[in-house]
Amino acid sequence: MPREIITLQVGQCGNQIGMEFWKQLCLEHGISKDGILEDFATQGGDRKDVFFYQADDQHYIPRALLIDLEPRVINGIQNGEYRNLYNHENIFVSDHGGGAGNNWASGYHQGKGVEEEIMDMIDREADGSDSLEGFVLCHSIAGGTGSGMGSYLLETLNDRYSKKLVQTYSVFPNQMETSDVVVQPYNSLLTLKRLTLNADCVVVLDNTALNRIAVERLHLTNPTFAQTNSLVSTVMSASTTTLRYPGYMNNDLVGLLASLIPTPRCHFLMTGYTPLTVERQANVIRKTTVLDVMRRLLQTKNIMVSSYARNKEASQAKYISILNIIQGEVDPTQVHESLQRIRERKLVNFIEWGPASIQVALSKKSPYVQTAHRVSGLMLASHTSIRHLFSKCLSQYEKLRKKQAFLDNYRKFPMFADNDLSEFDESRDIIESLVDEYKACESPDYIKWGMEDPEQLLTGEGNASGVVDPKLAF
Amino acid sequence: MESMTPISCPTTPRWNQDRPFLTGRFQQETKASSKFADSKRFPLDSSSNSGVEQAIGCYDTPVQELIVIDDLLSAMVGVEGRYISIKRFHGKEDSIAFQVDPSMDLALQELAKRIFPICECFLLIDQFVESSSQFKNGLVNHAFAAALRALLLDYQAMVAQLEHQFRLGRLSIQGLWFYCQPMMGSMRALAAVIQQASAKHFVGSGVLNLLQSQAKAMAGDNSVRSLLEKMTECASNAYLTILERWVYEGIIDDPYGEFFIAENRSLKKESLSQDSTAKYWSQRYSLKDTIPGFLANIAATILTTGKYLNVMRECGHNVQVPISERSKLTIFGSNHHYLECIKAAHEFASIELVSLIKDKYDLIGRLRSIKHYLLLDQGDFLVHFMDIAREELNKKVHEISTEKLQSLLDLALRTTAAAADPRHEDLTCCVDRASLLATLGMHKDPDSNSIEDPVSITGLETFSLSYKVQWPLSIVISKKALSKYQLIFRFLFHCKHVERQLCGAWQIHQGIRSMNSNGTAIRRSSLLCRSMLKFISSLLHYLTFEVLEPNWHVLHDRLQSTRSVDEVIQHHDFFLDKCLRGCLLLLPDVLKKMEKLKSVCLQYAAATQWLIASSIDINSQSHTQKTMIRDATVTESIFNFEREFNSELQSLGPVLSKGSQAEPYLTHLSQWILGVSKE
Repeated sequence: MPREIITLQVGQCGNQIGMEFWKQLCLEHGISKDGILEDFATQGGDRKDVFFYQADDQHYIPRALLIDLEPRVINGIQNGEYRNLYNHENIFVSDHGGGAGNNWASGYHQGKGVEEEIMDMIDREADGSDSLEGFVLCHSIAGGTGSGMGSYLLETLNDRYSKKLVQTYSVFPNQMETSDVVVQPYNSLLTLKRLTLNADCVVVLDNTALNRIAVERLHLTNPTFAQTNSLVSTVMSASTTTLRYPGYMNNDLVGLLASLIPTPRCHFLMTGYTPLTVERQANVIRKTTVLDVMRRLLQTKNIMVSSYARNKEASQAKYISILNIIQGEVDPTQVHESLQRIRERKLVNFIEWGPASIQVALSKKSPYVQTAHRVSGLMLASHTSIRHLFSKCLSQYEKLRKKQAFLDNYRKFPMFADNDLSEFDESRDIIESLVDEYKACESPDYIKWGMEDPEQLLTGEGNASGVVDPKLAF
Repeated sequence: MESMTPISCPTTPRWNQDRPFLTGRFQQETKASSKFADSKRFPLDSSSNSGVEQAIGCYDTPVQELIVIDDLLSAMVGVEGRYISIKRFHGKEDSIAFQVDPSMDLALQELAKRIFPICECFLLIDQFVESSSQFKNGLVNHAFAAALRALLLDYQAMVAQLEHQFRLGRLSIQGLWFYCQPMMGSMRALAAVIQQASAKHFVGSGVLNLLQSQAKAMAGDNSVRSLLEKMTECASNAYLTILERWVYEGIIDDPYGEFFIAENRSLKKESLSQDSTAKYWSQRYSLKDTIPGFLANIAATILTTGKYLNVMRECGHNVQVPISERSKLTIFGSNHHYLECIKAAHEFASIELVSLIKDKYDLIGRLRSIKHYLLLDQGDFLVHFMDIAREELNKKVHEISTEKLQSLLDLALRTTAAAADPRHEDLTCCVDRASLLATLGMHKDPDSNSIEDPVSITGLETFSLSYKVQWPLSIVISKKALSKYQLIFRFLFHCKHVERQLCGAWQIHQGIRSMNSNGTAIRRSSLLCRSMLKFISSLLHYLTFEVLEPNWHVLHDRLQSTRSVDEVIQHHDFFLDKCLRGCLLLLPDVLKKMEKLKSVCLQYAAATQWLIASSIDINSQSHTQKTMIRDATVTESIFNFEREFNSELQSLGPVLSKGSQAEPYLTHLSQWILGVSKE
């Protein structure tokens, strides 16, 4: 069973969205709550084995590891209706069950402590697959377990499985509300460093935007976690459709990501989905054509990352790459027409330093899930405006750091022992350079960015446009 | 009149040919052999004779009349009389002349001469009846002869009646002349037909055409026309029986090779899956040039009707067009009833066959499955296959073991989404000897060897899939059609290979993200990698979503409503040709450019490992922030790749826009690959 993907769900948030994800996958593949293939699920043409494997009794088991430092959410799963789905050997809850106390350092440190145990689980899963393609990590970056332990896992995976891809679905905290986690900026910054250096692709799921979408698009007054999580699971399942329902292209994760990610560090993707519905909610059924779907995907209100940019900056923002995964009954000729229309209307602002266009993947829709809409679409895009999200993180961190607030909690752990806060500074530098790189992407001269005078190296190579000093350009 | 198939008809026994007594010809034959007797027959000098017979001139005119009538009655059934002789001109077949004794009363002579034509006609017809009843002359001639024989019986009855009247003394020579009149026209017309028929050795449809054209020519003479029409009807009955079996059962029952459809038995149905010209369908049954006039307009329909029925019979389905009384084929009677019958049979056969092929043999499912594998519509198996067969495919063409590839392919199919499709077992792999460009070159001009393959050609350039297609689906998916699929597959396969290699290069770049690459050319390299990936995925996107998928959509819709297999074949061929064209395989200029670009991509992808490895500073101690070193050769080669790739890409623009006037879809391609900014 080739090109398998192992999912690691870490922490409270990671396990919640993971659970929703598996629920959705079971529905789409016609797998019952106990992992048994439903009688009606005979249509074939799908690939269950990328995310599931079959036990001796033929029931499907997710290639998933459920990891948490406190038992609440995982207990909920173990007592829930999907309790028989998971492999119980793949569930890890720390013995003391005390959690990480929303402290990145605690999570990271505890992760180190249980490394062996967890890596054993991962190795077992990896050995059970023919040719492992990579890992998917679900977590939040603000708390303690998902961020700290998640960070530790990212580093370890990078070391041990350097040839495998690591993709994360990272939930960014809601920055509109005052959080009960005061050290959120610290946690976010430290996690962001690992996301930048140790992941191949990060799908940014911004709780701010998810809430906004729930309120504005779905007209929910007080969206619950369950409701925003179902948005996340929709995105996760839609972004894996080309792997699960094979088509002409993008049948492996690497093919999917390679065309989206321009440079090794600029691997943060934002998503958009339309039409959105939440369970048991009667929505107005809209006409969905390919053009409608594509057009809506480009509207900021459907995008699951909020932009904190001021107007002037926002107008500078550019798309680096776009992949639209269109599901449903689509007449392929419509795709070309829609792209043409979008091009004519200049609805997309692309980078100028290289070729760029909307890529489209047409994918089958699950025959077992009835939806009111004929066509639905997911957009995965690399967009320079994502830097504003990081800038926001940085500025919040700076505020806190200036006050030297709450640092004591971190000093308790080895990494920050003896008042060694260089980890914070290093992380800050890396995020800052990431922001700079995204900013540079907005310029047509990006291709020369970071190159110190190429002509010096290549004698006789005359370049009309001359040398661009990065400091001058930006 | 040479027929294509050897006809095995029984030969006429020799005794029948050697002793042509049945024709009544012995009379003249014997005489011709003994000229002496002949000369003595009508001696001018009667005294020199034995005395029994005297020159007719010796008798009185009334006596002469009686003798002449008697002789004429004999002559009318082809027997010489005392004073009327039959002269046969040698060398010229069928030219006979009757002569009277010149001493006869002139008036009688004149009257007698007027009756001679009917006698000549009788002889001709009688002879024709005998000779054309021989086996080799075919069913139409037999039937025609039988009808003539019936007519001759009437004629002989008339002669007998006349003789009876003569015996009663009621017949004068004028009376004889008078009574012969009704028969005269018919006999003459028939004799004319027969003369032509036997002169040109007509058989089968030739006879029918002749009869019909004569009937038309005689339109003014009602009785003759109706006689000829009746003859046509009789003669064509046999022909229509052959036709009926063909259009109702799909069987050629034509022992004498008269039918206008020829069967080429040397073409076997199995040849469809081997022979790349798909000759079976077009040449197994073909029209000869001897189509009877009344079927000329509908001949093609008749051909296909039987072909369809025949296919179903070959499949083991005993399909027969439901026959009612109305469906008996006759030429005359209600207005062109036979045409309607044939059309009905055609309708039945084509609908029946199409539904057989579509429902029982699941044509569309089969095509869909071919699309899954050969057009990569369900490409996950290929990802796995390329993973596990990488080594084997990288070998030189002659070192590749097809068996090994086959087992790897089976493995890949079994473990991916294809496993759910039982048809995947029909997939086989094959390795061609020549590169795609060379193969295409060969397709156009078999003699030219202008495109030399590089020596280093590997399985990646020549690997292809094949698909076992069983009869009767091989009618539609013939070897010819499959080879077109294969061409498209090979192009897609190689593009996929390039994409994979570039993805590999991308992953190598990903590996160094934790290092500080500022100030090195590596960033430039990753952007070049992105451009190349963009190029190849745009190309693939164009090929699949702009060419294959829309055209398949059209084909699928059309197949739903087709009513005959020929239409199915036509739509399918149209689909393939459109795809070939859209996939640039018929445009050597563009294709060569694409191959060049792909080879630059491959070179770059192969070099990436080295480029990155030589940029990593091994001496750097810091674990987290390794810095990359600047290496002049690395930088230079990255710039070289970049320059080469960009210039190739730039030069593609004019090529595409040049071609886009004739081939509008090239604009789509250039939009995909070059983007809009260049417009």
